[in-house]
Amino acid sequence: MKAEYVNPFYQATINVFKMMLDLEVTKNLNSIPDSKLSDEKINILIQVTGDLTGFIIYSFDSKMPLEMVKIMSGMQFDEFDSFVESAIMEIANIISGNALSNLSKQRWQCDITPPQVYTENSKPLELKNKRVLRIPLQTKLGNLQLCISLEETKAS
Amino acid sequence: MRMWKERYKIGVPLIDAQHEELFNRVSDFVKSLRAEGNWEDKLPMIRNTMEFMQEYVIVHFEEEEAYQRKIHYPYYEDHRRIHNDFREEVYSFVQEFKKDESNEKLIQAFAGKLLAWLINHVAAMDQKIAEYALSKGGTVE
Repeated sequence: MKAEYVNPFYQATINVFKMMLDLEVTKNLNSIPDSKLSDEKINILIQVTGDLTGFIIYSFDSKMPLEMVKIMSGMQFDEFDSFVESAIMEIANIISGNALSNLSKQRWQCDITPPQVYTENSKPLELKNKRVLRIPLQTKLGNLQLCISLEETKAS
Repeated sequence: MRMWKERYKIGVPLIDAQHEELFNRVSDFVKSLRAEGNWEDKLPMIRNTMEFMQEYVIVHFEEEEAYQRKIHYPYYEDHRRIHNDFREEVYSFVQEFKKDESNEKLIQAFAGKLLAWLINHVAAMDQKIAEYALSKGGTVE
């Protein structure tokens, strides 16, 4: 997978966390990327169409979305309910939208599908057996892993 | 803790005042929504907020777009598209709510999305307008 597809997502994650949450994101050099997505994590899937085809999964430590929403709202959240789910899906949407904006400056015109919560069991068949690049990241709220699988769309 | 933060100001008094008002409204909405209590008792506040949001995304967005045209903001079209998309989403939530006012999950999801959308829009996107105006050597007035 080319770095030019991957870097915009990594960079957008850093920027959005800084702007929205005032949080630093760094690569977690001590972490071995998880080869499987655990259902103990909160996984948000966004699919990419257009000049590139594939998907991004934002895999959060389970308590991390609660802390992120706490920063945004100033309120305590104790469970991953539809409020927290919707807020985290919107953050994943914002990161992906910003990444696509940078990809379009390079020559890749793409769209994204609405985010969805994803579990290993609910994994759509077309996502299986794809090459996935995993980037382990850390913040003071917990760990986040970007799982990126993108390839150039073949001309029909 | 208040949702509104001084760092969100872009330096245009009219737009800053509208942003602060919106943050306060959303903050009150989220607090009421998350408070213990009967759903029926919360409905008047929810109806009120849905009406406010519908009007707000027309009036405020138009004023913000007018300001962008005035300063010849180069990303005006992108910004306008984002406004249009959000306007449609608010409209869609309002329609769904009108069909079924007992759908608490829908309103919780609306509030979560609104919170994240608003913070990104004001803390990140609108700051770029101020940076552009300042880069042109003027004030952002």
